[in-house]
This record gives sequence, structure tokens and C-alpha cells, in this order.
Amino acid sequence: MVLEQDILPYFQWLWSGSADSLGALPRFLLVSLGVGLLGLLVGYSIAAARHGLLRGGDIVYRTISNGVREIFETSPRRVLALAGLAMKEAWRRRVVVALIVFFIILVFASWFLKKNHQDPAKLYISFVLTATTYLVLGIALLLSAFSLPHDFKTKTIYTIVTKPVRLGEIVLGRILGFTAVGTILLAIMGVCSYVFVNRSLDHTHTVEQSSLKNVSDADGAVIGKDGRTSLNSYHRHEVELDTDGQGVALNNYGHTHRVVKSGGKEVTLGADGIMNARVPQWGKLTFLDRQGVPKARGINVGSEWTYRSFVDGATQATAIWTFKNISPALNSEAQGGLPIGLIVRVFRTHKGIIGKPITGSIQVRNPETGLTSELIPFAAMDAKIDERAIPRKLTGTDNSELDLYKDLVSSNGELEIRVQCLERGQYFGFAQPDMYIRMRDASPIVNYFKVCLSIWVQMVIVISIGVAGSTLLSGPVAMLFTVSFIVLGFFRPFFVGVAQGTEYGGGPVESFYRLITQMNVISNLEDNLLTRLIQGVDWVYKTFMLSLAQVLPDFSSLSTVDFAAYGFNVPADLVWQDLTMCLAYVLGMSIVGYFLFRTREVAR
Amino acid sequence: MSDDIVIQTRALSKVYRDFWGRQKVRALKPLDMEIHRGEVFGLLGPNGSGKTTTIKLILGLLFPTEGEAIVFGKRSTDVSKNERIGYLPEESYLYRFLNAEETLDFYGRLFDMPAATRSERVDSLIKMVGLDKARKRQLQEYSKGMTRRIGLAQALINDPELILLDEPTSGLDPIGTREMKDMILRLKGEGKTVVMCSHLLADVQDVCDRIAILHQGELKELGRVDTLLTVADVTQIRARNLTPECQNEIREVISRNHGELMEMDNPSTTLEELFLSIVRDSEARPGRRANVEPVTSDT
Ligand SMILES: Nc1ncnc2c1ncn2[C@@H]1O[C@H](COP(=O)(O)OP(=O)(O)OP(=O)(O)O)[C@@H](O)[C@H]1O
Ligand SMILES: [Mg+2]
Repeated sequence: MVLEQDILPYFQWLWSGSADSLGALPRFLLVSLGVGLLGLLVGYSIAAARHGLLRGGDIVYRTISNGVREIFETSPRRVLALAGLAMKEAWRRRVVVALIVFFIILVFASWFLKKNHQDPAKLYISFVLTATTYLVLGIALLLSAFSLPHDFKTKTIYTIVTKPVRLGEIVLGRILGFTAVGTILLAIMGVCSYVFVNRSLDHTHTVEQSSLKNVSDADGAVIGKDGRTSLNSYHRHEVELDTDGQGVALNNYGHTHRVVKSGGKEVTLGADGIMNARVPQWGKLTFLDRQGVPKARGINVGSEWTYRSFVDGATQATAIWTFKNISPALNSEAQGGLPIGLIVRVFRTHKGIIGKPITGSIQVRNPETGLTSELIPFAAMDAKIDERAIPRKLTGTDNSELDLYKDLVSSNGELEIRVQCLERGQYFGFAQPDMYIRMRDASPIVNYFKVCLSIWVQMVIVISIGVAGSTLLSGPVAMLFTVSFIVLGFFRPFFVGVAQGTEYGGGPVESFYRLITQMNVISNLEDNLLTRLIQGVDWVYKTFMLSLAQVLPDFSSLSTVDFAAYGFNVPADLVWQDLTMCLAYVLGMSIVGYFLFRTREVAR
Repeated sequence: MSDDIVIQTRALSKVYRDFWGRQKVRALKPLDMEIHRGEVFGLLGPNGSGKTTTIKLILGLLFPTEGEAIVFGKRSTDVSKNERIGYLPEESYLYRFLNAEETLDFYGRLFDMPAATRSERVDSLIKMVGLDKARKRQLQEYSKGMTRRIGLAQALINDPELILLDEPTSGLDPIGTREMKDMILRLKGEGKTVVMCSHLLADVQDVCDRIAILHQGELKELGRVDTLLTVADVTQIRARNLTPECQNEIREVISRNHGELMEMDNPSTTLEELFLSIVRDSEARPGRRANVEPVTSDT
């Protein structure tokens, strides 16, 4: 799974942030201040232009003081009444159609999604959850953007605002009501897709009697049998049985089975681990270059995406992960060894031997004493998770016997794991999250719920933006406004990149100029009046974009569908961060919506 | 300001502008008036004369271009005044997917009242406006008059002190019109203030204490209905037991004869007459407050 940004602990995220970004709360306050001042400026300019400097000032002052007072006059009773109305309205607008669409999508999914995929669960989960996300966001968009404008058009708003309803309550009531409707839909979709994925992928095998071979221990006594299962759902498993015919079907296609004896034959039970919630503990990644000199990153093999960097084979180049707090208590389920997961991106400069994987090696080292284990070779499977346990008993480079926890973990609980590529001319690529220590798994169903919660958070944010926009704009315009928020939000990193000038090709006007003059994105612009003008205009654009980016929700990082698809637990820190962000948007957008509404003459 | 004044407008005016701020219509020219507690006030005027605009300005649905409207001592943009106001719009703008009960219940929830009071009031209002049989039907199935009735019930849900009715009788059947008039008088009896605009002058004449007549956004007449409708330069005499000779000489000798003078006052015209004369006058001489002197017999 790709994780481009570190997940900070919640309170660090909230207060202090990371090295290159502010904490969330200070940032929120700063942005609020900025938006507030901007709103004041724009509001006053308009009021002054309409009513003169003095009266304009009076109007702005009264709007704000009223607004502040009305926040304290907000009544839960009225908000709930308005929320109830919004729910009824949504119901009237036949939101159930969305459920019908959803079931049609499930039917198509069951026809067209392949079960002979390497990891069918990943395919199924990501498809179903992505579909759910788009559907729920779509409904959120339509409900929120068209509701208030419709009330203005039919003038039903007249009978509302002539009651003692504060305008903020109308905005908040709408947000709450549509959130409630969305929650119901999302809950139904979530449960259905959970059942759908598990039911579609569940299957059993029988053990092929002809394949069973006895396994004996050193004394020649039979201690069990090895063999394989029948071919079902496009795959089979190796099985390991004890003398009673009980045992396990080993991991293949992302799941295992238990084998039991029933009716005189060995058969498997249903699949285990279709959905996983691995809890990874990530370490810190550093590199050694081909001469063995420490580096922050490996080398670039020419791909534009700089997420992973590479080590070259058969040199001293090494990827080194340092893990903290290592003790046998980390994963009490795994007896004997330290379970790790490793994802390797293989970059070949020549074919090598076709069909044969590239070999690499793993070494464990004590960062304090420098004691190092012998190489543990492995065959790199490109972009697949390789899960293994580092055994308790290891041999040192000097052939001494080493104990993993006693000899290789430093006194402050640190451990180094080093990975090298062993074949000349081949490269391994790694990013920090590509190696992890697998702690005790979390509950997959709770994890699934957390992923649905992240969809919920996105939905609430869309609703808040839609409702706030629709206080001033007409339905279709409010929808466009919200859609642009969503689209820019999904591509926020790129958008910020353009604004900060880190993307090639310059700002909007410059890249347009490059486009029509067929100039490539790298070469420098010649220096003349036109290009200076272009860059001047771009500077204005970029400043605007940068300010806009401050309020854009980062939808790509809000989505945790990948966690479920790849079988990782969504960290609690992330869940809390998302929920906090959601609250911030609801709060901010209610206030923005209130003031936009306030400036509007209801009876126009 | 005195506690007795419910609504006060000070140079209240409204110019409708388009998106670019260009002037479209001067819907209301500076208007000064006061409406007192307990009176029934009628706003009259031809179509497009600014009646609805005035009511919307009073409610804060529109922002005044100049001047201000004060309701219960508060600015019209202050929502807390709405606790004591009921408003029946020109057309009933209600949620068509709710039924009568749900509608009233919803609007009731917007006011601070206990649930028991609310359901009681919903019930009695539905009965009062005669929609008992249709209480479970969605409003989209309602006829115009029925919608009007539920709109009225909605305006009364908070037992308001000030009721603004924009053409309350439009779309109502004769019985409904009659009931509406009775209701307005009953509300007046309860000490409430009613502001209404209507084109049915006979009804206005029946129920209103004071009226204002607007024409093209300008106030043309404002006063008590009884004084306004009194014709000042005409004396009306009703006498009994006059001999035919006396009748012949009545103009000169009425006081010298033995006749019993029963009544001697000025006759009143109808509101319709007054209305038409003001509008005609205003059209003939625009820009002036039409009728500063009382109605005369030759108009
Ligand atoms: N939203 C608006 N935009 C522009 N002009 C408007 C708007 N509403 C009303 N007007 C204009 O303002 C003037 C007064 O309208 P208003 O609705 O107050 O009249 P009225 O006295 O209520 O008429 P009626 O008896 O037909 O109800 C009219 O000329 C009308 O065209
Ligand atoms: Mg009108």
C-alpha cells in the first residue's frame, strides 16, 4: 500500500504539525482569520459601494454583531425541526434511487469482477468501496446544492425566515438532515458491500487424496501429511495436516482455510482472511549507496514518481529500516519469531533468467553493538506483500548463535533490518512504509467500519460545502461550485504543486503559452516583455491558488479505501484526524453559509 | 417610542435593482406611518403599488434602500421579533410534500412552545380553518383555497400579537371570505394587531379601523376609515312628521317648523368611491399627496 505522507500522532497533528507544516488547529485558526478578514473586506467594499462609506460600515458592523449574537441564540429544537424537514425533502426527492443504482452496481460487479485475480479481495473491496464513495458523494452533492435554491425558487423560504429561525440554523439543519439521510444510505451500502465481498469470495476446497504424502520426523515416525487441495475459484492451496486429518490450507490468493475431516474425507472450511486488518509498525528508512555511504534516499531509476527510491544489486547499496520499541510482546500471537511484511518494487535492467524471481537478502542488525545476522535470502515478488517471520534463533556473520531479542535488539529497544538486492544490474525500490512489523491484527469488521467512516467524513464535507454555497448561489451554480471543490480536493497535491511552482511548466498562463507555442515544460522562457507579463499574471494566479488550497479538503488523503483493499488497519490517529477535519468543515462552512445567507435579500 | 406603537416606518423606501445595481423599479417612496396596538390596518392600492413590498420590508424579507422599519421596537432585520408575528404571504408558500398536520407541527417546532401546546394548537387550528377532513393529505393535492386556509393556520400557529395578511381572502369561497372577516374581527377583539392588504374594498371597509392607500409606491391617503369616508360639505337630515308645505320649504325653514329633527350629519361615501377618486386624482396630478382636504360631494 502506498502511503505518501506519514500519519502523525493525533495531538502532534493537532498542535504542532510536522516539520514542513503547521498543526491543524493553528492552521484552522489562521485560515479562519484570513477568510474572516477577506470576507470583511469584500463585504465592506460592496456595502460601501451600495450605501456609502458610513452606512456601509454600519451595515457591516450590524451584520457581524448580529451574527455573533445569533450564534449564541442557536436552538437545538429548531435545528432538529429543520433537519427533519431536510430529511423528508430528501426522501421526497427519491434518494432511494441511489440504493437501486448501488444494487445494480453490485450485480455488475458479481458478473464482471474476475475471481482469478491474484488478490481477488483487493479487487472486490476497492471496487465496491470506491463505487460506494462516488455514489454517496454524488447524492450528497445533489441534495445539498439544490435544496436551498429550490426553497428560494418556490418561496417556501419566506415562511421559514419569518419565523424566529436564525439563518445559521437553516444552514446547520440542512447539513444535519442530509447527513442523516446520507448516513442511512451509507450504512445500508456498507453492510451490503461487506456481505457481498465476503459471500462472493467465500468458497471451500476438498483435499486431493492422491496428493497427500506422509511427513515424518527425524526418527521416522509419521507426524502428519502434506498435499494440496482441489482447484476451486481458480486456485488451490498447499495443505498441512496432522495425523487426524486436521490442519491448514496455506495462504494463497490472499486467504487460508482450516481443514477438517468430514464424512471420511478431508475438506476445507470457508476462507479465512478475505478481509484483513494488519496492524503495521513502521520504522524509519535510510539508505547506503553503492559505496556503503549513508544517504537519505536511494537512487532514482528515472520514474517521475519519487515515492520509492532504489538500491542497485550486488553492490553495497542497502535499504535500512530502524524500528523502535521491539520486544516479544509486540505480537503475542506469533510464536517464536518477529513477523514482518515487505513490499519490493523490482526494476530490471535486463531480463535475467526468465520466470525466475530476483533474489535479495535480509539482515538483522543491532544498531548499538553492530552485531549482524547472516543473510536471509528471499525471492522478490514484484509489488506483492511478502510476509514472513524473522526467526528467534539466528546465526551471526561470525557464525555465532544469536537470539533475536537478546542480541540484536539494542538496550533502548531498537532494531535494524537491512535489505539488499543480490543480482548485478537489477534494482529494488523501497519507500518507508514498504517494510513493517506486523503486530496483532485488528478486527477486519471494525476496520471496515472505519473505512466507511472515512467515506462518511467526505460526504459530510461535501454536504457542508454544498449547503454553504447554495445559500447564495442558484442550484446548478452551487453544484458546479461544490464539484470544483471536490475535483480540486482530489488533486490537491498537484494543485498546490502548481501554486508553489514545484510542478514543471509554470503557472496556468505560462503553461498555456508553452502549450500553444509547443515549447516543452523544462526549457527556460526567453526573457522579454511578454514572458514577464505572463509570469506576472501567473504570480497573481498562483497566490490565489495557494490561498484557495488552504481551504481545499484533501479528498485523496481522506479516503482510506486502500487500507481495506490492501488489508491494513486504519490507524486510530487517522480516524480522529479525519473526524476533527470534518468538524472543522461543518463549523467553518456553517459560519460562511450564515454570512452569505445574511447578505442575501430573501425576497428577491 | 411608545409601547402602543407596533410598527413604525421612518422614510422607508425600496428601489429594486438588478444584478449590476442598476435601478429597475422604485417600488416604495419614503413612507412614514405608525400602526398601533389593537387596530386593524388596511393597506390598499392598485396592483403593483407597493403593498407587498411594504409588508416584506416590515418583515425583513427585503432590505430597505433608505429608512427603516421598526417592529416591536426592533429593527425589521432582527429575527427575534418574529416570535410575536404571524405572516400569510401573497400565495401560500408551503412544503408540498407535507400534509396539513405535519406542516403545522413543523412550523410549531420553530417556536418555543411545549409539545402538548403545540399538538393542541395544531388540532384546533386545523379545525378552525375547516381542513379537518384533509388533515392527512399532502398539500400538493390541495386546492387553492385549501392551501390558503392552511397558510392562514400556519400564520397563527404561535398565537401572534401582530398578524400580517397579504390578500387574505384571495382564492377563498364566499363562506371562507366571511369566516376570514369574522376571524380578523375576533383577533381584534383579542387585542391583536392586524395588517392586511386586500382588493376587496367592501371587506376592508367592514373590518379595518385605519387604512393607507398607496399608488405607484407613494402614500396617497392615511387615516381612520370612518373619517375618511365622511363627506364634509354635505349635511344629511332625516325628519319625521313634516307637512307637505314644510317639505317644500325645507331648505329655509327647517328649524322654524314643528318638525322633529331626527338626525343631522354628513353622509358617508363608500370606500370604493374614495379609492377610485384617489387613484384618478393621483394619475391626473402625479407626485402629490392626493387628498389633503376631505372628500367633497362633487368627486
Ligand atoms: N423582486 C422584484 N424585482 C423587481 N421589481 C419588483 C419585485 N417585486 C416587486 N417589484 C415591483 O415593485 C412594485 C411593487 O410591487 P408589489 O408586489 O409591492 O405590489 P403590490 O401592491 O403588492 O401589488 P398586487 O396588488 O399586485 O399584489 C411593482 O412595480 C413590481 O413590479
Ligand atoms: Mg401584493
